Amino acid sequence: MNESKQPSVNITTALALACSSALGLAAPGAHAQGEPGTWDFDLASLYYSESDSRVTAIEPVFSATRNYAEGETLTLKGVFDVLTGASPNGATPSDSLQTFTRPSGNGEYTVDAGENPLDDTFKDTRFAASADWAAPLSRDWDYSAGVYGSREYDYLSMGISGGLKRYLNSKNTTLNFGLSLSHDMVDPVGNSPQGLSAMPHKSAPSYEADRAASRDDASQSKNIIDLLWGVTQVVNRNTLMQFNYSLSLADGYLNDPYKLLSVIDETPGANFGGNLLDGNGNRIYLYEQRPQSRMKHALFWQTKYALDGGDVIDASYRFMFDDWGLTSHTFDLAYRWDFGGSYLEPHVRYYLQSEADFYKRYLTQAEYNGGAPALQEASADYRLGEMDAISIGAKYAWRTASDNEFSVRLEYYMQRSKGEAGFGLLQQQELYPNTDALMLTVGYKF
Amino acid sequence: MLTEALRCQPIAPEFNPAAHPIPVLQGAPGMWRGRFKAMASDCEILMEGMDAEVAAHLLRRAAIEAWRIEYKFSRYVTDNLIARINRAARQPVKVDDETADLFDFATQCFELSGGLFDISSGVLRRIWRFDGGSHVPSASAISSTLALIGWHKVAWDRPYLTLLPGMEIDLGGIGKEYAVDKVVQVLRDHRPAWTTTSFLVNFGGDLACTGPRLDGSAWCVGVESSEHNHAAVAQARLATGALATSGDSRRFVRWQGKRLGHILNPLTGWPVENAPHAISVAAPSCLHAGMLSTLAMLQGEQAEAFLAAQGLQFWVQR
Repeated sequence: MNESKQPSVNITTALALACSSALGLAAPGAHAQGEPGTWDFDLASLYYSESDSRVTAIEPVFSATRNYAEGETLTLKGVFDVLTGASPNGATPSDSLQTFTRPSGNGEYTVDAGENPLDDTFKDTRFAASADWAAPLSRDWDYSAGVYGSREYDYLSMGISGGLKRYLNSKNTTLNFGLSLSHDMVDPVGNSPQGLSAMPHKSAPSYEADRAASRDDASQSKNIIDLLWGVTQVVNRNTLMQFNYSLSLADGYLNDPYKLLSVIDETPGANFGGNLLDGNGNRIYLYEQRPQSRMKHALFWQTKYALDGGDVIDASYRFMFDDWGLTSHTFDLAYRWDFGGSYLEPHVRYYLQSEADFYKRYLTQAEYNGGAPALQEASADYRLGEMDAISIGAKYAWRTASDNEFSVRLEYYMQRSKGEAGFGLLQQQELYPNTDALMLTVGYKF
Repeated sequence: MLTEALRCQPIAPEFNPAAHPIPVLQGAPGMWRGRFKAMASDCEILMEGMDAEVAAHLLRRAAIEAWRIEYKFSRYVTDNLIARINRAARQPVKVDDETADLFDFATQCFELSGGLFDISSGVLRRIWRFDGGSHVPSASAISSTLALIGWHKVAWDRPYLTLLPGMEIDLGGIGKEYAVDKVVQVLRDHRPAWTTTSFLVNFGGDLACTGPRLDGSAWCVGVESSEHNHAAVAQARLATGALATSGDSRRFVRWQGKRLGHILNPLTGWPVENAPHAISVAAPSCLHAGMLSTLAMLQGEQAEAFLAAQGLQFWVQR
């Protein structure tokens, strides 16, 4: 009976690996999400396409989070957008061909009779990047700080943000306070237009003078302050509830420099309800003008309910109102169907918005007042008009053996705008075209 | 403050193939204690941070998982995969992923231990009786039994396992520790999403936790004395990971004035001399802790040196 004498070697590392694979766990070398000293990566790509190929967008998003031993995290994020297509310029459709001067002043584009006028020069690329730091201050307090920057060919936005979190009741209650400041600069193509000035027509003998008269500063800016107060409460073992109030104050240049309003002829006769014509026989379009400031309030309520089987119901409601007279309601419902290693999350959202006080689908001859507009502000941007929208979609995500997550999300968006039907010739036009869009997002977390 | 014992919801026979009694839950929202029987052990789950309904639900899932593993890998069940493998001499048997993972694990342990850990060594039990008497098997009985032992003699070509006639495999040496780890996984996967919870799973002294207790303290676990039955000699403090114990169950055979414990060396066919009565090891998983305590027992005299080389906490009772 010979005892076999093993040398006393350390086999614990090899054994730890063997155990992890026997237990179906990620090997100790492969890290779990959120583990100190590691990076978590999140890649996603959004493909967005509007019906009748109006706008398509491809938006890759990259995010990396570094986790530190004391619970600090550093998150770096980059987004790159490529949008192509055409966007509504605000003018009404007409029973004959319309000609618009390009914002740059270089050339014109035409829109066929009965067509919703779209500015086909719409092509944009945007790059945005942010860095956020979050860390515990003490057992009951966390803080966060971040910087943000975004660049488009005519737009630059820079911001800083800070936040505080206070935990109460053994972390069953969390109070949030957040503040962010941003400064945006816009250098519109062809300089910013004077609000409510007439779009110059290239065919007019006085084009150069008209154009000069319609131009304002080359560069414009605005400042935005966002404040958020929130409370998150663990109601019971299954239920999490969140309530936020946010206030947003914007000050400065809030116009969309490329948006127009049509002026409609009210004189009884053959052109009643058609575009009002100037002395050269050209249609009159005015550049939009919005208020110089906006104060938005939003109330947000969200409840997540976890069922015993692992499924999660997520319902939320957001109410927004502002001093532009615009109010909106957003209802959102998602059900996460848990299959263990994967889940399917069907999702539905309903959005309802009233119009802003200065929203006008068009200006009347009386409002135009012979070139001295009788109003201070007007915009035909459909995003400020009365509308409702419904999105229906689903996300499917699954975990790989190494604990990485793949996801695919498909969403269909249908938006319906409403408003005054117009008069005369205008009544034959579709003033409120619908927008349908399809969004596909593919994501990978590792 | 203990409330009266609650019984879990009934469990369908397909989830309770050995017809164990329904698990029992006791306690209060601060701390729940669930108990059931599995693998010839008293199984206990301690649960913090939930109400009775959730605790009962989790206890039920834990028991179902333990019973599933018990039934699937027990060598006492006559119609499971292990029984089919043991009957299918020379015929390849295809095994499922979970079983294959355990065979891969057994292969790695066989290699790491230089053949001391061998899931084909169970046949030695046929010839050794540790009843306190002085009967030892004959040299020829030992050598003919050793011929049927050796993981290197089987053909393990995942997912196919082929044994030689007369060979048998037995996962009893890792089954309970594996079950503890799997139950911890089940509890982790099914605990409530929004609250913090903490669990300790204890299957007859092989145990694992999900983390520290909710007040931040470690779980206090008694390490049993071998001489004074059930009197704890040491307190292990477990804030993470697992603890497993191997022992000779105070069963022995007397031979030439020596007391030989029931730890059998598959290379010699003889009990290991001078093995401690019990060894407990703390490690990241119960499977890991159990393998180290088993291998340390097989080192006999060298148990402490072997354990010290592993760099983990351990307790030896000689």
